[in-house]
Amino acid sequence: MRSQRFFNLLTLLILVVLTAGFLIYTKVAASAYIQRVVVGLAISIILVVSLNLINGMTGVFSLGQIGFMAIGAYTAAILTLPLSMKEVNLPDLPSWLAQVELSFLPATLIAGLLAVIVAFLVGLSLMRLSGPYVSVATLGFLVIVQVILVNWDKMTRGSRTFSGVPPFTTLWWAWGWTILTIYIGWRIARSMYGRRMIAVRDNQIAAKSLGINVMRSRLLAYCLSAFFTGVAGSLWAHFIMSFSPKSFYFVETFSVITMLVIGGMGSVSGSILGAVLITVLSEILRNAERGIAIGPIDIPPVYGASQILMSIIFILVIVFRPKGLLGGREIDFNRFWSWLLPKRGEKAIVPGKEVS
Amino acid sequence: MTQLQYLAQQGINAISIGSLYALMAIGLAMVFGILRLINFAHGDLIMVGSYGALLLLVLGTPFWVAALGGIVASTIAGLLMERVAYRPIRGAPDVSMLLTSFAVTILLENVAILVFSPTPRAFPTPSSLNSTFRFGQLQISRIDVVAILVAVILLVLLTLFVTRTKLGISMRAASEDLLAAHLMGINVNRVIATAFAIGSIMAGVVGLLWSARVGKVDPLMGFYPVLKAFVASVIGGLGSLAGAVLGGFLLGFLEILLQGLLPSSLAPFRDAFVFVALIILLLFRPNGIMGSAEREKI
Amino acid sequence: MKRHSLLTIIMLAVLILSACAPAATEAPPAQPVKIGVIYNLTGGMASLDVPSANGAKLAAKEINAAGGVLGRQLELVVYDGKTDAATIGNAATQLVESDKVIAMMGFSDTDMTLAAAPIAAKAGIVFVTSGATSPKLPEHVPDYLFMSCFGDNVQAAAAAEYSFNDLKAKSAYLLIDKGMEYTLLLGQYFKERFTELGGQIALEDTYQTGDKDFSAQITKLKGLGTVPDIIFISAGPDDVGVIVKQFRDAGMDKPIVGGDGYDTPLLVEIAGPGAENTYFTTHSLMDPDLGTDAVKKFITAYQAEYNTPPENAFAGLGYDTVKLLADAIKRAGSDDPKAILEALKSTKGFPGITGSITFPPGSRIPQKGVTMILVKDGKFTLAAEIVPEKVPAP
Repeated sequence: MRSQRFFNLLTLLILVVLTAGFLIYTKVAASAYIQRVVVGLAISIILVVSLNLINGMTGVFSLGQIGFMAIGAYTAAILTLPLSMKEVNLPDLPSWLAQVELSFLPATLIAGLLAVIVAFLVGLSLMRLSGPYVSVATLGFLVIVQVILVNWDKMTRGSRTFSGVPPFTTLWWAWGWTILTIYIGWRIARSMYGRRMIAVRDNQIAAKSLGINVMRSRLLAYCLSAFFTGVAGSLWAHFIMSFSPKSFYFVETFSVITMLVIGGMGSVSGSILGAVLITVLSEILRNAERGIAIGPIDIPPVYGASQILMSIIFILVIVFRPKGLLGGREIDFNRFWSWLLPKRGEKAIVPGKEVS
Repeated sequence: MTQLQYLAQQGINAISIGSLYALMAIGLAMVFGILRLINFAHGDLIMVGSYGALLLLVLGTPFWVAALGGIVASTIAGLLMERVAYRPIRGAPDVSMLLTSFAVTILLENVAILVFSPTPRAFPTPSSLNSTFRFGQLQISRIDVVAILVAVILLVLLTLFVTRTKLGISMRAASEDLLAAHLMGINVNRVIATAFAIGSIMAGVVGLLWSARVGKVDPLMGFYPVLKAFVASVIGGLGSLAGAVLGGFLLGFLEILLQGLLPSSLAPFRDAFVFVALIILLLFRPNGIMGSAEREKI
Repeated sequence: MKRHSLLTIIMLAVLILSACAPAATEAPPAQPVKIGVIYNLTGGMASLDVPSANGAKLAAKEINAAGGVLGRQLELVVYDGKTDAATIGNAATQLVESDKVIAMMGFSDTDMTLAAAPIAAKAGIVFVTSGATSPKLPEHVPDYLFMSCFGDNVQAAAAAEYSFNDLKAKSAYLLIDKGMEYTLLLGQYFKERFTELGGQIALEDTYQTGDKDFSAQITKLKGLGTVPDIIFISAGPDDVGVIVKQFRDAGMDKPIVGGDGYDTPLLVEIAGPGAENTYFTTHSLMDPDLGTDAVKKFITAYQAEYNTPPENAFAGLGYDTVKLLADAIKRAGSDDPKAILEALKSTKGFPGITGSITFPPGSRIPQKGVTMILVKDGKFTLAAEIVPEKVPAP
């Protein structure tokens, strides 16, 4: 029996090869439309895996993470906006900012960093609260960010469309960040920090009695989540190229929560699964609702049907699998390996006779 | 008008809005108290009640009949919601219940959009309700007066209910400890259904008052009210009826006074200030003003 | 066991659904001339976009009944944008790639237009927005983005000049919705032109899209002491009825003035008698008795097709845009996107039912007159047709 480590490495290698293969295929052979969907999927995965860090693993059900996405998006966009566009679109920027034009990576990093700083300051007060109270407080954060974005005209153009953002997000950038996020999410989940977070989630008092600092665990999850959510914001901004404050409000919040819940809160692979399923399903349904032909039957377009179907699916999952499709556990590759490979002492099946 | 009159008028505005928020918050608080469920779909009960009344009004029925019809519609919807969506998941972790209520909201809203179209429709408020009472420089619309009266009456009735009737007292018992209540022989299903029914009646009433005040209905109309109700309940302390009422009025006052008194440059930040105030409140009273700290079982 | 069966069911469902691959993404026969149409048929902008899409479809039907374009049938490939930028981007990409349209149109909102137009532009295809009125739009997407409606600077200037010259207003109260680009710009342009003419802004206040209660703002206005000559409220169609009602109920009976966001049946339905003495600028008067002959014909046809009179002028805008594009294709003489671009650029005097469309050289915003409507006896009546003397720069 080979060592566990060997199989873990083998699994990792296979996943990496499959992912790389998928990306290369998409870039080379798939249509521009599919490429767009795949980039969108990458950003969704980052959002859901980050959300899982705070909502799934610490039990703090934050409704405000999209606020960090907004912060990331606006920060990065302001930094990368070409100087000529800055003059036209943001004439009242403070002069030190008006001179700045950064490239994609530094801008994204700064965006993520700013999100972390805000998360730290905000988290110091919010992470004390629990249950529905912290949910309302984080919802408050979302609203506060929205109000600031809408009213701080000088920096954000207020409600007016922020456009002209250079289209830096390519398949590689998006998936590069996605893989990094998944990796970090995975490592944290299996680390001491991750176990502490889960302990706090499952039983706050018992965790405290074991000497776990609840505030610190939650704050770590909150800040880490904010960083990647901010990065996702930057990727998003450079993908759709124009946006406004209302792009980062309740609709997006529900969308990401849906993906997390369907896949299973508390599980990194669940988050990924949820994101993939919802993205694929909504695109299929969206195309289908334009009117499809099943054999001789022509079904006329019913716009809005896909939203209804999605909500029905959501209800079904919650009612029958309240912990999500993966039940909050990770995909266990070991089961695959033990199914595949013969083991010592296993009953051999020989046609005709059973041999033990 | 003088400064005093200005403040008085804003005060009247605040009481009107506060009554509506209080009614909405009570509906949420009732259900939360017993089931620990935050029913986001409560907003859609408001919507169902409004559309129910609208349909009857369009068919020509007198206003009072349509109003009753709307309340009946929302009550049936609420009971259905409890039976179909929430009973199967009773006992699930709080988060699952919250998420189920999201799912129900999304479903109801999308169905309403498909059936009624997303365009808002006018709500034909009877002219008897449309006039305004004026006292010198101050004014209050008839609808607002009705809203305040209705709120007061309902609150009195509700208080009598939970203190004097057996069912009401059972509800308070269930609120405190559902399992113990069950063990004491209280029919828990009936109590929960009653809580939903009362909450839905409140929602139907709010739907009517809101639509009459605002003049229109649309499929997403319940979203902001339920958000306000949520915030109001949290301010007052989730699960506490008195807290819900207090929270509703406080929220109304906070909103109106901020909108009216903030200088023009800061007035748009009103919602942000409201939430900042909420967060500060929660930091000092993590369970709301009247909420009691829940004893955690180890 | 349960886990496996559920997963299997889901996978099967996904497979089956994808097997029902929609006919829409198959490569269709090359015969019809295809125009891509994206509107937000669901979501927050549906009340403007659904009538626009209906108007567009009606126009295509009429064109095809009269023989089509270039001797071929005109086919509108319609996508629902769902008021979501990513969906819109995907739809636009599909239109360019799989449906291979030769022109694109849609939207009554700037954000949405900007999510799709750059994709069309990159493929060398024109995008004509039927209802997004921000005059800054063409700057954002060089060369390929056209508007078939007037810009907000034009309608705001018309409103300001009418208020000052015709309503003899010297002072105005301004209430602006801060949550929308459209209302922000409209209010800004109005203020600029009105003060330029010599008018004074007595008080300026704001609200957020979707606010239901304006008692605070009304009280503030009353607290001023003096009553301004007009009340300019820059609002969107979903809010305008509520605002007008509350202001009138509070005793504010000076003329209320606004923009094309007022062009909705909700104004009179919700505000009731309060809507009297309200003026607003829009693209045309959709009235079966008071409208132009072309408008009357349109209303009759729309009613016959959809069992309801056109909900607002945006239906007419959608209609005009399809006819404008068909006209450009005819003048281009081919379905080559480049030729269509040139033909569109040089459009002169196209007789739309929302006004005559001419693109001045170098501009992709049409010169169009503004219709000023007065609400009288619960109906929309024509107050004036205005061509503003001076228009604030975008």
